[in-house]
Parts: sequence; C-alpha cells; structure tokens
Amino acid sequence: MAETTHGIGGLTFDPRKREMPAEIGVALALVLIVAVFEALGWLLMNDSFLFNTRDNVDGLFNVARLKIIILQVSIIGIIAIGVTQVIITGGIDLSSGSVVGATAMIAMSFAQAGEIYGNPNDRAVFFEQGLVDLPIIVPLIVGLACGVVAGGINGLLVGYTRIPPFIATLGMMVTARGVAKWWTKGQPVSFPTDSYAAIGAGMMPVVIFGLIAILFGLALKFTVYGKHTYAIGSSEDAARMSGIKVARHKVLVYTIAGLLAAVAAIVLSSKNLTAQAGMGIMYELDAIAMAVIGGVSLTGGRGSITGTVLGAMIFGVIISGFTFLKLDAYYQEMVKGAIIVGAVVLDQWRQRRKASKVEK
Amino acid sequence: MKRTLVAAGIAGLMSTTAMAETIGVSMALFDDNFLTVLRNGMIDMAEDMDGVDIQVEDAQNDVAKQLDQINNFIASGVDAIIVNPVDTSATEAMTRAAASAGVPLVYVNREPINVDQLPDSQAFVASDERESGTLETIEICDILAEQGTDPADVYILMGELSNQAAVQRTQDIFDVIEAGKCDVEINVIDRQTANWSRDEAQDLMTNWLSTGEPFDAVISNNDEMAIGAIQAMKAAGMSMDEVVVGGIDATQDALQAMAAGDLDVTVFQDAAGQGAGALDAALKLANGEEVDQKVYIPFQLVTPENMEEYATKN
Repeated sequence: MAETTHGIGGLTFDPRKREMPAEIGVALALVLIVAVFEALGWLLMNDSFLFNTRDNVDGLFNVARLKIIILQVSIIGIIAIGVTQVIITGGIDLSSGSVVGATAMIAMSFAQAGEIYGNPNDRAVFFEQGLVDLPIIVPLIVGLACGVVAGGINGLLVGYTRIPPFIATLGMMVTARGVAKWWTKGQPVSFPTDSYAAIGAGMMPVVIFGLIAILFGLALKFTVYGKHTYAIGSSEDAARMSGIKVARHKVLVYTIAGLLAAVAAIVLSSKNLTAQAGMGIMYELDAIAMAVIGGVSLTGGRGSITGTVLGAMIFGVIISGFTFLKLDAYYQEMVKGAIIVGAVVLDQWRQRRKASKVEK
Repeated sequence: MKRTLVAAGIAGLMSTTAMAETIGVSMALFDDNFLTVLRNGMIDMAEDMDGVDIQVEDAQNDVAKQLDQINNFIASGVDAIIVNPVDTSATEAMTRAAASAGVPLVYVNREPINVDQLPDSQAFVASDERESGTLETIEICDILAEQGTDPADVYILMGELSNQAAVQRTQDIFDVIEAGKCDVEINVIDRQTANWSRDEAQDLMTNWLSTGEPFDAVISNNDEMAIGAIQAMKAAGMSMDEVVVGGIDATQDALQAMAAGDLDVTVFQDAAGQGAGALDAALKLANGEEVDQKVYIPFQLVTPENMEEYATKN
C-alpha cells in the first residue's frame, strides 16, 4: 500500500500509477510486432528480419534494415513531435502536411545551385534575379520563417478567436497547399546546393529527429513550458484559474508545431534533392497516427515524446516488415489501418483497466 | 443556338471584333509535374492565339468536384470543355452533362472508360500507355542483353495502384516478357508501389537493399520513382554502372540524372503536345468542325544518345 500521499490541490501521488508508464506498453507492442515479423520471416522467407544472414556482411544485426526502419519515419517523426505537443494541449494540427509542401517549395527555391553538371541551371526559380548558390543560412531562415508564420497563425486563431483547432488548422491545410502550388505554378524545384543537400543526406534525418525528440522530451518533462502544456490539456479552465496564460501558451505550442513541420520540410526536400507542390500530402495523418499509437490521448493532457518516438518506430517496422515479406501492395494499407486502430483500442483498454485498479 | 452563334461568328470574321472563344479546363490535379507541363502547354498555346480565353480549374483528385466544375462551365456558357479526368471510370456522367447541354468536350491524357461510345461532339487526346511501358522494358532488355546479363533479376516500382497508367505500364512489362520480346530472361524479384513519389521510392529501394538480394535492373512506372531508387542505391554505395534503371516521363530531373550516367532509359510523353492537341480539338469542335475522336500523340524513347533533343521539351 502507498503510504506517501502528497500533492497539490486534489491531486494525490499514487505510486501504483507509476508502476507502468504508457510508454512501456507501446515498447512491448513494438517488440511484439518485431517478433511477429522475425517469426514470419523464418516461416515464409527463410530469412531473418532483424539479424544478419549474409556472408558478405559482418555484424550480428542487419544494419541496413535497422537504419531504414528509423530513417523512413524520421521526417514524419519530426512533425509528430510538434503534433504531439498540440494534441497534449487538447488540440489538433491538420495543417502540417501542407505546411511541409509550402515550406519545401519556398525554402528550396532559395537553395538552388547555379550550375548542374557544368551547365547553368536556368530553370532555377530565382535564376534571373541571380539568387542562386546562396549561403545555406538563407533557405534555412526562409524555411523556418514559413513554419513560424503558419504555426503562429494557427495558434492565434485557436488561442484568441476560440474557433476549434480542427477548423483553424483545416483552413491552414487548404491555404498552405494553395501556396505550395502557387509558388512556382506547380513546377517542381530541384537541384539544391551541396550544403543544402547535406542537411538530409544519409542518416542526417535520424540525427535531427533524435535531437529534436530529446530537446522536446526534456522540455515537456522538466520545464514550465511542459507543465503548462499538460495543464491546459488536462483542464483548460483549471489551467486558466491557476494563472496560466492559456491563449498565449497555445500560440507558442502551435508555432513550435509549425516550426517543426518546416524543419521536416527542409530535411525532406534536402533528402530528395527536390521540392514538389504535392509533398507532404497525408503526412499530418501519419504524424497524428504515430502520436496516437504512442499513447498520446486525443482528449489532451496525456502522452509523451518517448511514446511518439516509439509510435514512429512501430510505423517504420511495419513498412519494412511488409517489404521484407514481399506482401502485396494492396494488403499493406489494409493491415496498416488495422494496426493503427488496434493499437489505440489496446491502449484504451489498458487505460480503463488501470483507472479501475486505482479506484479500488 | 450554338450553330447560329458559330455562323454569326464566321459572318463576323470580317468585322473588327474578333470572335472570342472561352474554353473551360478541369485538371485532375495541379500538383503533378507532368500535368503541370500539359496545363502550361494549353495555356501557352491559348496565349499565343487571339481571342481564346481559357479558364483552368483544379479538381484536386476529387471526382465529384470535377463534375461540379464541368456543370459550372456549362452554366457559365463556355464554348468547349477540356477534362483531364480524375477517375477514368467516372466519365460517363461528364459526357452526358456536356452532351445534353450541347457543349463540346475533349478528354485529355487519361482514357475515359466510354471512349468508344463518345458522341460526335466529344474527343479524346492522349498517348497510348501500352507504348510507354513497352518502349521502356524493351530498351532495358536490350541493355541487359548487351551487357550479357542473362537471366536478369529486376525490381518493379509501381505508381498509384488506383491509376490506370500505373496498372498499364506494369502490365506492359509482363506483356513484353510473355510475348518473348525481351532478349534476356527476366526474373521479377518483387514489385511494390511507391505512389509515384520520389521519397517513397527512396525508402522502398533502401528496404529492398536491406534484403541483400542482388539485382540487375529497376523498372519504374515513372521518373520520380526511378530517381528515388537511384538516390537510395547511391546512398548505399552502389555503382550506377552495375544496374540498369528505367523510368517514364523524361522530366527535367530525369534528363539530368541521365546526363550524370545514373538513369539509363526514360520515355518521353509529349505533355505540352497533348495539351495543345486537346485545345486544338476543343476549338475545332466549338467551331463545328470535325475532329478524329481519338488523337494519339506518340511516346518517344529517350536514351543518353538522343537526350539532348528533349532537354527543352518538358
């Protein structure tokens, strides 16, 4: 039995509540899914999912596969970290995919090289103005500014006009996609400078994803920013009464989400060496799914960056696992949808059980 | 009514006011590179002509929205409509709407399901997708045969599975193999969709590479995915001399990849030509002239030898 009960207001500290954080459940699900693919691999493919079975490569694990599992989800993962914080405040951000598209187009047009394989790149957006081969800081600042503006507008709408976040960010989703198409009248923007291309090269997306995850993981856990974020999501009225400037804090959270979408856009366009108006379509839903699989509650107040990162990894394992099993493309989406819903059902069930255990 | 208007227009040719034609265009989606070239082909041609106004709308891949746009065009009294169908099996309603209002209609780029039942006032302008995948696959076979790679292991990158061009281009590959038109024996290791996207193709290729299975060629339904595969293979340290990569579209990025020696084959689909052809057919129909109901703009094979010719086309 717990003897120590201390807390602020009506909140009591109950050690049993801490026995199994939500992340452990998600981590177990991740391990389970990996195990299923490993078993199916030996059963159907006569090959290992996780371990190295090649003679010409050293090492215990199939490093190439481990890398791609995380690499293919890092860019949407960066978005998911921003979306997680928005969802914790009880909101939602549907605009991130479109903000990725618009930011990629705009940032990339300031990052184009003046020459491709020795020929002048006369199709560059600002070739005539001579704005090619600019220092890398220019596209970075332009890109991040796009994210801050888009996120800031979302935040102002949600915080001060009090329209539902679903509507505010839906508006931004449509508008930002319009901007992405309008910027070059739909033409793709390709061939960045070497320095811009380096941002998303190799495993850089994973490194950036990791650093951002650590930064915001710590910020949510240990800073006033984090405490306010959770407080608003748990009970907005209570947060307001305890002196938290709710509207101002929401602007900050949505701006961070926009900023992270812009970071994702820069990494994405750099990784692909191109920006296209259709980039990032549906990313917002994948990002939300990652967060939700990771135990972030859509009603707000609950969830963590660790959970979202694990949710992203589950996504990555599923994509790689399907390719590994050579599962027909048609079935992949069906199974993916089922896994998303299944993960949330499991989580709800676990939450209810935990809640009833505490009440006893 | 239309006929009298046309007659009045012809009679008025000698007068000072030129007859203005208004053409409504509904594109399946704006954020597609190829369709953008097609759209701009139409716009450029219209701008060069006197008295042709075109109004282009984006159906955003939504069948219902597209039909609404067509009905709006009819309501606002355009002289002809050009449709790049979102869904090729949903064209019957559009055909009926335009035919009952007496407005000529031209389908462009994507073959409508009712192409053989179109009324006289409607036409179809496109390229035959059976050519594209066939040209691509046979050229890849020839390169493999020249290298002496027989049998050859290949991966296939497919476009969106709901898209007729993706299905046909993939079918072309198997048709070539089955018809014995391929000089080498082709063994397909796996085929997956990357939804026309460079990013998805990059990740898919990296996943394939992680299986460690050796392969000789990558046949892609479009250039964007082929470039994604190339980027993944290069990132894994593969030499692009070892593998034959083919795409379709001859986009600017693809031609640059070909110049760098990474992409071996692509196929040029004359997007601007299709756009111009569609506008031409629409104007003729609006003026009551007869047109061929199926106008095919041919695909053209692009290899490092002739790539220079295509540098400014797309």
